[in-house]
Amino acid sequence: MNLARKELKEYLFLLPVFSIITIIFAYPYIRTFYLAFFNVRFGVPEMHYVGLANFANLLASTTFWQALSRSFVWAAGNLVIQLSIPLGIALLLNKKIRGIHFARALVMLPWIVPAVAIAVCMRWMLLPRIGIINEILIRVGVMDQQMHFLGSTATAMPTLILLNSWKFIPFGTLLILSALQSVPEGVYESAAVDGAKGFQVFRYITFPLLGSMIWFVGFIAFAWNFNIFDLIWLTTQGGPGGSTQTLPVLIFRTAFRTFRLGEASAMAVFIAILLLVFGILYFRILAPKKI
Amino acid sequence: MSALRERTSNKILSVMLICIILLLMLWPFFHIFVSSFKPLVEIMGRATFFPQNPTLSSYETLLFARTPVRDFPRFLTNSLIVSVSTVVFSLFLSGISGYGIARAKRLKSGLITRMLLLFYVFPTIVLLVPVHRMFASIGLHDNLFSIVVVYTALVSPFCTWLLVSFFENIPRDLEESASLEGASLFTVFIRIVMPLAAPGLVAAGAYAFITSWGEYMFALVLISSSMKKTGPLGLATFTAEQYIEWGPLLAGSLLIMLPVFVIFLPVSGYFIKGFTAGAVKE
Repeated sequence: MNLARKELKEYLFLLPVFSIITIIFAYPYIRTFYLAFFNVRFGVPEMHYVGLANFANLLASTTFWQALSRSFVWAAGNLVIQLSIPLGIALLLNKKIRGIHFARALVMLPWIVPAVAIAVCMRWMLLPRIGIINEILIRVGVMDQQMHFLGSTATAMPTLILLNSWKFIPFGTLLILSALQSVPEGVYESAAVDGAKGFQVFRYITFPLLGSMIWFVGFIAFAWNFNIFDLIWLTTQGGPGGSTQTLPVLIFRTAFRTFRLGEASAMAVFIAILLLVFGILYFRILAPKKI
Repeated sequence: MSALRERTSNKILSVMLICIILLLMLWPFFHIFVSSFKPLVEIMGRATFFPQNPTLSSYETLLFARTPVRDFPRFLTNSLIVSVSTVVFSLFLSGISGYGIARAKRLKSGLITRMLLLFYVFPTIVLLVPVHRMFASIGLHDNLFSIVVVYTALVSPFCTWLLVSFFENIPRDLEESASLEGASLFTVFIRIVMPLAAPGLVAAGAYAFITSWGEYMFALVLISSSMKKTGPLGLATFTAEQYIEWGPLLAGSLLIMLPVFVIFLPVSGYFIKGFTAGAVKE
C-alpha cells in the first residue's frame, strides 16, 4: 500500500511535461491519422468522410511522388555531408589546446541561429551580380560567369543542401565530440605504448568506439533533414519549377495554400509511418549491436 | 626531443586547421554584419567585401520607417513576450518533472522517460494541420498564447533532460535535513533545490528562449494579423514583397541573431554538455 502510494507520487511528477506533450504532440499526431480519411476544408468545422480517397489521390499524383523522391535526395545529400565533415571537426576539437572551449562554442553558432535570418541573408549573398558568393567563386576561378544559384532548377537543390548542412554540421560535431570524450584516456595511452601512430589509432581504436554514436547521429540527421521546412520555404518556397519541393513543403502548400487539409493529412500520415518504420528497421537491422 | 618537436608541430597544425574551420563557418555572419552598414546603393549593387561609405540607414529604415504592416520593433516585442513566457512556462513544467525523474531511479531508466528522447526526431510537420484546427476551434487562433503553448511543448522534453542531470548533483542530505526540520516538499523544492540547480535553470531557460525566439513554422500557421507577428515571421513577410529592399532585411536578420549569440555564448558549456548527456547515455 505504502509502496504503491510512493510510486504513484513519483509518477505525479511526470504529469506537467507529459500533459503538455500529450496535448501538443500525441493528440494531434493521432488526430492526423483520423483527418486523413475526411474531406476537410479550411476554417470550416464540418468534415465529410471520404474513406481512402485522399490516399488514392496521393498515389495517383505525380507531384507527390516527385516530392517524395526529392525528399530522399535531400535527406541523403545532407546525410553524406553531415556525417563526414563533423567527424573531422570533432577529431580536431577533441584536442587539448588552450581556448578549445571557446572554439567549441563558436562552432555551434550556425546551428543555434534562427533559420529565418540565415535564409534571408543567404538569399541575398547567393544572388547573381549582387551576391558575394558569385563574386568570390569567380575571382577564385571556380566559375567564369554569374550564376543564379537558387533560381535555376539545376543548382537550387545542391545549394540548399550545402546551406542546410552548414547549419547542421555544428550539431553533428557536438554529438560526435561527446562520444570522443567518453573514450577513456587510458585506451590511447596503452595504444601509444604499443607504438600505434596517428591514423592507426583512429582506424583501430577511435573509429570502432565511435561506431554506435555515428549511427545515432546518422539517424537524427536523417529524420531532422527529412522534416526540414523553414529553410526551404524561406529561400525557394519549393521552386524553381518544384525542384526543391520536398514532402514537408508540399504538405504545407497543400494545407495552407490550396486548403486541401485532408490530403495534407494523408501525406503527413505517410511521413509519420515512413519515419517510424525507417527508425525501427534502422536500429533493428542496420545499426551495429552493442556488445 | 624529436618526439616533442613533432608534438608541437602537430599542435600548431591543429590550431591552424581549427582557425580555418572557424573562419569558414563564421565568415557569413561577419559579412552580414559589415554589410548591414552599407548604404542601399552598395547592397543592391555589385558585391563588395566592405562598405565604402558606412551608414546606419538600413537600421533607421527598419526601426523608424514604421507602418502597421511593417512594424519591426513591434514584431521584436512580440517575440520577446513569446520567448520570455515560453521560458517561464517550460522551466516550471520541466523543473517539476525533471526533479521527479532525478529523485526516482525507477523513472530515470524507465521507458516513459526515455520516450522524451524521441522528441529529438519528432516530425513536427505532421502536427501542422491538427494543431491549427485545434487552436482555431477553441478560439485561440491568431493569439500569441497559442504559440507559447506550442513552444513550451517543443522545448520541454529537452529542458527536462537537461535539468535531470543538474538535480542529480544536488546532495540528498540537504533536502532530507530540511524536511526533518519540518519544511514541506514545496518549500524544500523552492528554497533548496531550485537555487542549487540555478546553472541548469539558466541553461534550460537559454535553450527555451533561443528555440522560441527563432521558430518560424508554427508562427506562420498560427498567427495571421500583422500586429501579432513575431520577429522571424515579420522578417519573412518583407521578403515576399514585389521589390525587396535588402538593406533593412540584413539589419533585421542581425537584430534577430544578436540576442541568440548574447544568450548562447555564456552558457554554451552547460548547453553542450546537456545536449549530449541524453544522447550518450543512450
